[in-house]
Amino acid sequence: MSSLFDTLSVMILLSSFVLMANKRIKSYIKTFRIQSMLIALAAGILGIQSVMEEGRIDVLVICFIIVVLKVIYIPKLMNKTYSSVEYKVEKDFIWNIPALVLACCALVVFTYFSISTIDGINEGFNNIQIVNSVSVILIGLFFMISRKKAIGQIIGFLVLENGIFITAMFSTNGMPFIVDMGIFIDMLTAVMIMGVMVFQISDKFDTINIDKLNKLKG
Amino acid sequence: MSYIVYIIIQILTMVLIAPLVNGIIIKVKAFSQKRTGPPILQMYFDLYKLIRKSTVVSDVSSWVYKAAPYEVFSTALAAALLVPVSTMITPPDSIPGDFIILVSIFALGRFFMMAAGLDTGSTFGGMGSSREAMISSLAEPSILVCLFTAGLISGSTSLDRMMVFMQGAGTPLIHPVAILLLLALLSIIMMETARIPVDDPSTHLELTMIHEAMLLEYSGRHLALMEYGAAIKQLVFMTLLLNLLIPHDQFIAMAGVGAVLLSLLIYLLKVILLAVLIALIEINTVKFRLFSIPNLAALSFILSFLAFLQYFLLGGSYV
Repeated sequence: MSSLFDTLSVMILLSSFVLMANKRIKSYIKTFRIQSMLIALAAGILGIQSVMEEGRIDVLVICFIIVVLKVIYIPKLMNKTYSSVEYKVEKDFIWNIPALVLACCALVVFTYFSISTIDGINEGFNNIQIVNSVSVILIGLFFMISRKKAIGQIIGFLVLENGIFITAMFSTNGMPFIVDMGIFIDMLTAVMIMGVMVFQISDKFDTINIDKLNKLKG
Repeated sequence: MSYIVYIIIQILTMVLIAPLVNGIIIKVKAFSQKRTGPPILQMYFDLYKLIRKSTVVSDVSSWVYKAAPYEVFSTALAAALLVPVSTMITPPDSIPGDFIILVSIFALGRFFMMAAGLDTGSTFGGMGSSREAMISSLAEPSILVCLFTAGLISGSTSLDRMMVFMQGAGTPLIHPVAILLLLALLSIIMMETARIPVDDPSTHLELTMIHEAMLLEYSGRHLALMEYGAAIKQLVFMTLLLNLLIPHDQFIAMAGVGAVLLSLLIYLLKVILLAVLIALIEINTVKFRLFSIPNLAALSFILSFLAFLQYFLLGGSYV
């Protein structure tokens, strides 16, 4: 069973690499949806496991919430924001895409070496799931840095949140229900506010390039 | 089994099956467009026709132009000898030569192909050669890292030893390293054998072609050898993927001639399935811009590098 979780964590990491190599907003949303599906799958398997062994159903409930929120609702919200702004393809990155992808690779190596110095997480060996999920957090953060448009930054934030969620899930076999719910509601609020903000920004400034936001406009 | 039997079976299998793979891919693609398409054996007919036709050689070309088809075909055959179609028939003391030789042999064949493209001095040949040089230099690190990872897992650089180890490991395809290597090899096949995200094999549109542009001046026997060489090279890559990551020989309990035949039959079945899969990938993707190909190559490199990294994350074990 742990091999299955290893594979799922690798696939989640891989989906964030695919996200990094993309430049179309539609593909961002699609890749985020696939990543959320993989996370929901991992949570579902973990949930069934905890129902069978301990009789807890909260992980299963969390899985259901992920499906509703991250696989269905947030991508739909993003698509709505996407159709209200005029640009479809991201054109300006801080570096070119191959360099960005290789930098992400360096992030994974960095995580590997930094996780191996923490005593509590790994029992004598490097926990592959922890390394992969912490890498997803860093890649999400790096995605936010590398993209200059607001929608890319929202997606980066969501990937970062996905990373935090799977780090918590893989290291504790299911967080307390109330903590997960708190994070989800925070994230939902943030995404809704950001969606409205993007719409307002593109309305006021005719662009959502964040470089142009350093001037005040009445 | 002895070397002679190994060589005969290896060459016969590769040479006989290679055009079939192209036929299947073209047929599946035709079905997706609601056409009947050419018969599956069309490439055999084409090759037969081309071999009987006379060849036209440009006056301004040098010996490179005439040597290149033979070079391409013979390097493809040499590569075919290094990748066993079935581990049942490998000689007892392993095949001489390893995957580093395999990659170098392909590089040699590609070098002659690019030189021939430049030799006649036509614009398209030069353009195709420069693009091929770019793509191959991007794909090569990915192949090497991928095969080095497989070698690291199995503790050997020889391809048949690697395959035997993978059979012993049971290779559940759910293993993270196996999945990453599988995806990496699949993307390498798409890049190396002029498939759709990188090059469109069915078009003669000058602006997009890469592989075809280098062969544009060739005719008759020379063209047949070039095409045949490319088909064998494609089958070698597919064999590498199939026998390394989806091994089947451990399920055959028998021994002797029957076991070898059964093994080859299963191999043929796997090749057909992979050909259909490649055709499906081709149907479902669009051709990339030339300048987007580095992105694909970077992803492909990342896949093999992640496999390498995950192998260490798992504590250096592969069970």
